[in-house]
Amino acid sequence: MDPLLVAEAAINGILLGGVLALLALGLNLIFGVVDIVWIAYVELVMLGMYAVYWLVTLWAWPVVLAGMAAVGLVAILGILVHLLIIAPILSSPPVNQLLATGGLLFFLQSFATFLWATDHRSLRLALPILEVGGMFLSFARLLAFAVSLLAMLGLYLFLTRTYIGTAIRAVSQDREAIALMGVDARKVYIVTSGVGGAMAGLAAALLIIQYSVHPYFGAAFGPLTFMIVVLGGLGNMFGAVVGSLLMSEVISVGGIITSTEMAYVVAFVLFIVAMFVRPEGILSRRE
Amino acid sequence: MGQMTRRSFLATTSLAAAGTAAGPWVPGAHAQAKSITIGVLYDLTGPFAAAGAVPGSIGTKIAFDMINEKGGVLGKHKIRAIEGDSQSKPDVAINEAERLLNVEKVDILLGIYSSAIAVPLAEKVDKQNRVLWVTIAIDDRVFRGRDLKYTFRAQPPGSQFGQLSARFIADYAPERFKMKPQEVKGAIIYEDGPYGSGVAASGEAELKKIGMKLVLKEGYSASTPDLASLVTKLKAARPDVLFHTGYNPDITLFLRQAKELGLRVKAIVGHGAGYGQYDKLREAFREDVDHIFNVDPVASQLLDAKKLKGNLGKIRDEFLGRYKKVTGVDQIPPHASMGFNNTWVLLTDVLPRAIQKYGGWSPEAIQKAALETDIPEGGTIQGYGVKFAGPGDNMRGQNLRASLVVMQYIGGKTQIVYPKAIQTASPVLPLPGTSPYAAR
Repeated sequence: MDPLLVAEAAINGILLGGVLALLALGLNLIFGVVDIVWIAYVELVMLGMYAVYWLVTLWAWPVVLAGMAAVGLVAILGILVHLLIIAPILSSPPVNQLLATGGLLFFLQSFATFLWATDHRSLRLALPILEVGGMFLSFARLLAFAVSLLAMLGLYLFLTRTYIGTAIRAVSQDREAIALMGVDARKVYIVTSGVGGAMAGLAAALLIIQYSVHPYFGAAFGPLTFMIVVLGGLGNMFGAVVGSLLMSEVISVGGIITSTEMAYVVAFVLFIVAMFVRPEGILSRRE
Repeated sequence: MGQMTRRSFLATTSLAAAGTAAGPWVPGAHAQAKSITIGVLYDLTGPFAAAGAVPGSIGTKIAFDMINEKGGVLGKHKIRAIEGDSQSKPDVAINEAERLLNVEKVDILLGIYSSAIAVPLAEKVDKQNRVLWVTIAIDDRVFRGRDLKYTFRAQPPGSQFGQLSARFIADYAPERFKMKPQEVKGAIIYEDGPYGSGVAASGEAELKKIGMKLVLKEGYSASTPDLASLVTKLKAARPDVLFHTGYNPDITLFLRQAKELGLRVKAIVGHGAGYGQYDKLREAFREDVDHIFNVDPVASQLLDAKKLKGNLGKIRDEFLGRYKKVTGVDQIPPHASMGFNNTWVLLTDVLPRAIQKYGGWSPEAIQKAALETDIPEGGTIQGYGVKFAGPGDNMRGQNLRASLVVMQYIGGKTQIVYPKAIQTASPVLPLPGTSPYAAR
């Protein structure tokens, strides 16, 4: 195999990792704080992709503006999901919580099918082709990667430099104690769900320029995102980024060295082994 | 984790469905009834829906409507259709089939888009001695070596797909590539379900027979989020011709990533499913999809009406008119023709004979009547004839006269380019410089 092609695969892997990290971060943030896994998280991304698609095709909005609108819309959706579905079941057994967010997943898929049928819809964008030193890089992915990095930086600053961000981190560390400190946990939950939703909206804006959207879009990314979140350690932000890059490199470079199917087998085996060795995730905090 | 939860949901719903589907079926109960009840099972939701299953279901419905408006089969037995949705999932399909057969007590089960569904389903239905009339799914394994008594398919088998595309390239290589067929390098990529792997296997066998070089053969999951490494590998293998079999989200993803990552070939040959949905591909890629080939049973509108027997030309036009009215599409996908045509064969050839000669539409009567079907070439709206393989044949139940064509999207229109005898245009080969995938 030409080393140039292996390098191309490795770089494309890193770029894919950026997109996956964005998905994993939002889900992880919500889990770390609210302590509930949103099974339907990628379905929110799907709705965001539809939002961009319709704004661009029906109302001829510029893609960037439509993407920003999607961030806002899905943030609101995230808050609504929290208020309507999550809040009432906060103290229910975990299996009930899983069933509720799982029910939401089916609802959103069916609702999208009902509204927009099962057609695959793509934005027709003429994106430039990037050739650097004989290697081809996906412009859409490069853009997504750059925006992901910025978003991660933004999230980091938000969590470490603002009062509400500090409160969010505090809740994720000890939800009982923080209530005693006079922090309104409900408000923290709502803000977290909104920020998690906004991350989903941002992911949507970046994914719609690379993928067609259809009601079952979640099937491609959902399982992988959950795997990454668990691999990196549920609730661990840095772990989510490392998990994303690890998985995407295994898929990309593994795909080149073995086969596309085998690369996924390797990725899943790696995941299972990691779960045996470090069931709390590779980068989880030791308690 | 998401996957597990989805599965547990499905398991719960499946159990519930199985519980309600336990009623006994009374053979012959329909004999007095005037209408023929047909359970229609397609993927109305899920990823297969937009990859041809919904167009197929509309084709079937139009066939029912056209027959019912004339009073039904033989002018007196109306078709009562009961719809099921297999949701692009084999386990759901099997539960839906159970419901249609044993709760709704349909006389015939008809439809099935996906081979991943048809392969397990056919055996289950046949074991119950009930009729399964397959309209779209193509995999050979539905029939091969199974000796199914009550399953029939007028649609061409998957093995023909891989054969035809290889022969097409071999036939044109000397003239268009200035290469002997043996010098041409082919690569085969496919979704790894029964449909893709079946077509890929037949393609590989045919390349070997011709002596064409196979430089890469690789499968992938149709729901994969990334095909970049496959594209990079293809670039390393440098094929002249890419043979691709896939559904819809994966084909779109592949073509997009192939363009971004600079894959260059002399020809891209698709094999049905996602490649048959020209309107959808064009929506995503505009003129980039021009000059891509698609192997499929012919989209009926492309055939010369004069070459069809009897009043079939008129029937074909009526079907096309209705399809356009319902959907508003410009390029009618081949799946619409498959849904209509293969239902039409049952309604106008098999059922009348079953009723007149064998006294009704019991599974026994239908299978006897089907084995006597003898429609010559030009006798269906997709041009091919129908003769089902009988007892003793390894492919019992498969139409032995089915045939395929190679189509090409040229200037926004679909043309038949192979076999030469019925071509409506000469193939544009190799890919012209205007294509982003053209070798330079």
